Amino acid sequence: MSIVPKETIEVTAQSIGITNLSPEAALMLAPDVEYRVREIMQEAIKSMRHSKRTTLTASDVDGALNLRSLEPTYGFASGGPFRFRKAVGHQDLFYTDDREVDFKDVIEAPLPKAPLDTEVVCHWLAIEGVQPAIPENAPLEVIRAPADNKIYEQKDGPLIDVRLPVKHVLSRELQLYFQKIAELTMSKSSPALFKEALVSLASDSGLHPLVPYFTNFIADEVSRGLNDFQLLFNLMHVVRSLLQNPHIHIEPYLHQLMPSVVTCLVSRKLGNRFADNHWDLRDFTAKLVSLICKRFGNTYHTLQSRLSKTLVNALLDPKKALTQHYGAIQGLTALGHNVVRLLILSNLEPYLSLLEPELDCEKQKNQMKSYEAWRVYGALLRAAGLCIHDRLKVFPNLPSPSPSLLHKGKGKIISAEPRKRKLSADSSQNQLPHKRLMTTTDGLRPQDHTGPAPMHVDKPMGKKGNESESRHQNEKERGKGRVITMKAILGQIWKDDLDSGRLLVKLHQLYDDRILPFIPSTEMSVFL
Amino acid sequence: MDPEQLDEFVMGYLKKKGFNGAAKQLQEALHNNNNNNGTGSSSSFNSTDYHNDPELTKLIRSFSQSENDPTRYRNGYSNLRSWAYNSLDLYKHELLRVMYPVFIHCYMDLVGKGHTQEARAFFNSFRKDHEMIHLRDLQKLEGVLVPSHLEEMEFARSLRQSKVNIKICQYSYDLLLQYLHRTESTLMLGIINEHINFQVYSGQPNSSSDDIDAVTIVGSFQETADHVNQKEIQWGLLEDSLEDRLEKTGSLLTDSEKGQGESKDGDVDDSNKKRSTEIGKQGSSLKKLKKDKAGNATAKVARQETSTVSPAPRVKSELALPVMSTDVEESILEDLRNRVQLSSVAMPSVSFYTFVNTHNGLNCASISHDGSLVAGGFSDSSIKVWDMAKIGQAGSGTLQGESDTNDQVAGPNGRRNYTLLLGHSGPVYSATFSPPGDFLLSSSADTTIRLWSTQLNANLVCYKGHNYPVWDVQFSPFGHYFASCSHDRTARIWSMDRVQPLRIMAGHLSDVDCVQWHPNCNYIATGSSDKTVRLWDVQTGECVRIFIGHRSMVLSLAMSPDGRYMASGDEDGTIMMWDLSTARCITPLMGHNSCVWSLSYSGEGSLLASGSADCTVKLWDVTSSTKLTKAEEKNGNSNRLRSLRTFPTKSTPVHALRFSRRNLLFAAGALSKPTS
Repeated sequence: MSIVPKETIEVTAQSIGITNLSPEAALMLAPDVEYRVREIMQEAIKSMRHSKRTTLTASDVDGALNLRSLEPTYGFASGGPFRFRKAVGHQDLFYTDDREVDFKDVIEAPLPKAPLDTEVVCHWLAIEGVQPAIPENAPLEVIRAPADNKIYEQKDGPLIDVRLPVKHVLSRELQLYFQKIAELTMSKSSPALFKEALVSLASDSGLHPLVPYFTNFIADEVSRGLNDFQLLFNLMHVVRSLLQNPHIHIEPYLHQLMPSVVTCLVSRKLGNRFADNHWDLRDFTAKLVSLICKRFGNTYHTLQSRLSKTLVNALLDPKKALTQHYGAIQGLTALGHNVVRLLILSNLEPYLSLLEPELDCEKQKNQMKSYEAWRVYGALLRAAGLCIHDRLKVFPNLPSPSPSLLHKGKGKIISAEPRKRKLSADSSQNQLPHKRLMTTTDGLRPQDHTGPAPMHVDKPMGKKGNESESRHQNEKERGKGRVITMKAILGQIWKDDLDSGRLLVKLHQLYDDRILPFIPSTEMSVFL
Repeated sequence: MDPEQLDEFVMGYLKKKGFNGAAKQLQEALHNNNNNNGTGSSSSFNSTDYHNDPELTKLIRSFSQSENDPTRYRNGYSNLRSWAYNSLDLYKHELLRVMYPVFIHCYMDLVGKGHTQEARAFFNSFRKDHEMIHLRDLQKLEGVLVPSHLEEMEFARSLRQSKVNIKICQYSYDLLLQYLHRTESTLMLGIINEHINFQVYSGQPNSSSDDIDAVTIVGSFQETADHVNQKEIQWGLLEDSLEDRLEKTGSLLTDSEKGQGESKDGDVDDSNKKRSTEIGKQGSSLKKLKKDKAGNATAKVARQETSTVSPAPRVKSELALPVMSTDVEESILEDLRNRVQLSSVAMPSVSFYTFVNTHNGLNCASISHDGSLVAGGFSDSSIKVWDMAKIGQAGSGTLQGESDTNDQVAGPNGRRNYTLLLGHSGPVYSATFSPPGDFLLSSSADTTIRLWSTQLNANLVCYKGHNYPVWDVQFSPFGHYFASCSHDRTARIWSMDRVQPLRIMAGHLSDVDCVQWHPNCNYIATGSSDKTVRLWDVQTGECVRIFIGHRSMVLSLAMSPDGRYMASGDEDGTIMMWDLSTARCITPLMGHNSCVWSLSYSGEGSLLASGSADCTVKLWDVTSSTKLTKAEEKNGNSNRLRSLRTFPTKSTPVHALRFSRRNLLFAAGALSKPTS
């Protein structure tokens, strides 16, 4: 029968006020309604064709109704798909869902964006029969290939959705910016400008499109420029700036960035000149690592564990160079005292036994090697010391440890130079490690007791200063050619302090945490 | 069969047919017969008559059934169908041709007898067979459900009244008759008798299964068409045309000079620019008319066909043509001199004008003859005209030149860089530039045609005459006259200086959708929703040719520059090449898969460009085909024209195409986002 159901006729009749339409009449009317509707649609299609469209619109239907001098439909020309609702209680009865709109809402709504004005643009579709490969023209291969594929795939096998390659558009400005930054990073001539660039990198909001390019750039340059210390340092600075920039969502690129960072931390050789202070670079990178772990440790649970695994592997591999060990220790230290306690302190004893021969100046003829060994030793001490300190901080009965620590630090800096020398003197005097430990313990103890007895700090220092003073001459001869930076000295100080800290740790491990407050006296007594 | 039952059938039949007297007599006789039987008498006169004759019994039965059993149509048709599909491959395609007319007439018979439900079921179960070829007709017929619709619907009426011509070979014909006789499907036989006109030919069946002439659905109409097509037409070019004049002067030019002319394209472009401004000044002088007073036609050899085709004859113009100012003439001659010769190996350059941000509102686009002006007609009644010489990227918006050395002045910043023409009160369906580009005509759904001046940017005249939306309007090749066509099924000829039409061409059975002038201005061609193209004599207003063959509405027309051929594109994407003198289709050009909205011949007629809704511009080689037809005409076989190139656009249906006089192809369309 007719595709127009009887119910529709009845409802329409009711809507125009005919209530007593008999079902027979409705049945009779239905085919005719269908015929008329088809007629009108046919006219509407003509109207559509002459509008050079291939989709029928409500205005086409209005045009067709107009041709027959009928009233057009109202309220449909606004566009948007119609939503039909099923009438309750009837099977095949639908009505359009007409929402009521409050005038107030309409009036108060912000004005929509003005539509863009019509324009005509011109391009060559073909030049002497050949389509030029310009963006205005359809790329022939790209369009053809998927079409063929689809046909092919429909024939056999499951349908695979072929996606066209997505073009990533980078504005000219950004390209220039990237080039400029890359240039600055590569050239070492203008540090002031580079600093400015870093500030910009850390604060500009529109840089996100460049992140993949930067990560690529960094990875490339790090792998290529391992001999160029300054470049590596610059690159790490760039990484830090990128990490600092609050507008950059760097997470997706972290996995590309991390290898470069770790490389700068634990690589065997960073920079090719003797003067290159790769220790600094390693320290800086260690800070970066801690920054990254703090920021993304929560979102990537595996990040820290993977990182520490890599570093521990580097540390515990005796074949690795001491520089690598140093980097690993610094990295682990940066990851926090828990990591230090778990991964370094547990391995401390065997490691130190390995390190000992290197530390021995008599046995180790290569001064460079020996220096490196001492650096590692210092790093270890620092790690242990920080760990202990952090642990001590936990206890409430140690009031305000940090100020005193600061205080202590200051005092040490003052006397740093002599003590450094003293240390080398120690080694030169070929003391047994055990003995040396004993001699230096008193230097360390104050750190642990900073809380209760800040006064202790200065005393031993003075003592040591004297000691070192006396050995000044000897040391100077041997210390020739050794480049000593402030940083290194600080490291040595830590080493001093922590040397005995190792003992403390032992004690700590033996006696559990509760023993700590009593350490001074007990240790003293043990020591004495 | 039970004799009692049989008697009842006969009674019923007689009563139904109104033979009351005979029925009464039969009843009496039966009564008597029964009485006689009861009394033991053996003198029965009628029982022996039909009760004992099996043939007669069958016939009576079939009569009784045919009257009120709608399933008979279904059974009869499905039997015939399965028979036709199972026939020998050699004859199958010929026999299948019979199926469509039988199908639609079965359906209409069912509807006519009021079996609405059965008709719908019958239609739906078999419509798939015919959808491929006759989809549009089926869509029309599908709505017919009540006998009154058959009366009302023009299409159905014409089908009922006309016969279908089917070419069929002797053996197929015999097979069919034999089948119908053997199965005693009187119903099918009746329909075939009533509505199909077999043109039986001896010999082997025609191998081509898609021979256009094989089935022509409009029977009585066909006769008138045949009759009309007997008329003589003068398809030659106008004598003393510019091309001829170019021949005269061109013969003086040596080849090297021509080469020089072409190499100096840059200079020429400059002169073109000047020209376009000069045109405006003397545009009004065009209005003056002049009787073309040349003597007899002396066949001139058109430049492009010197070696290939026989020369086009020359004819006199039947219209008074406007005077062409010397400046315009000079510039056209210059253009013709610098025309790039195109062929299947020398392809044209295509400059594409893309309308962006049209918001689906662009209804039509038009490009002036030199490509410098582009007009768009919008559904919001506005017309926008862009001067591409002023705006656009350097080089691509040049007037005529194939070089891109012109530096263009950008449009004033901040202001819109088009001219907005407001005046219509309905969607604008067509726009056309006068040949020099100084006037623009537009037609709209508000039933009017408006003339605009591109110099003054103002509306000059409003032509009222059509009663329904005007679908298309076209300037004549010489300007001043124009033709329009409308939903009111007429095409009209106008001149710019009169607000009333000069001629009204009536005859199409449905909307006239497109119109095109013959190059000699003596004829116009119209394409219609009735799937025919007609050629009309402008002077007499008579229809002189009817081209039958399209399967859906005709959307675009183009005339070859030599006036011999015509191309028409339809809704399905088929392009047909017609020979005007014989009214026969040379060959259909298949390739597009959506509406062909625009067609254009290259200047010397060797290439045909087609633009379609499927977002492509296609180039067709039409020289080889026309040559071949000459040779193969005897074979009576149509040959395939070659598709040379397909230029896909990114996502732009091609609304308009125009070859400039220098054979640069301009195309225009509105960028539309893919709807996926």
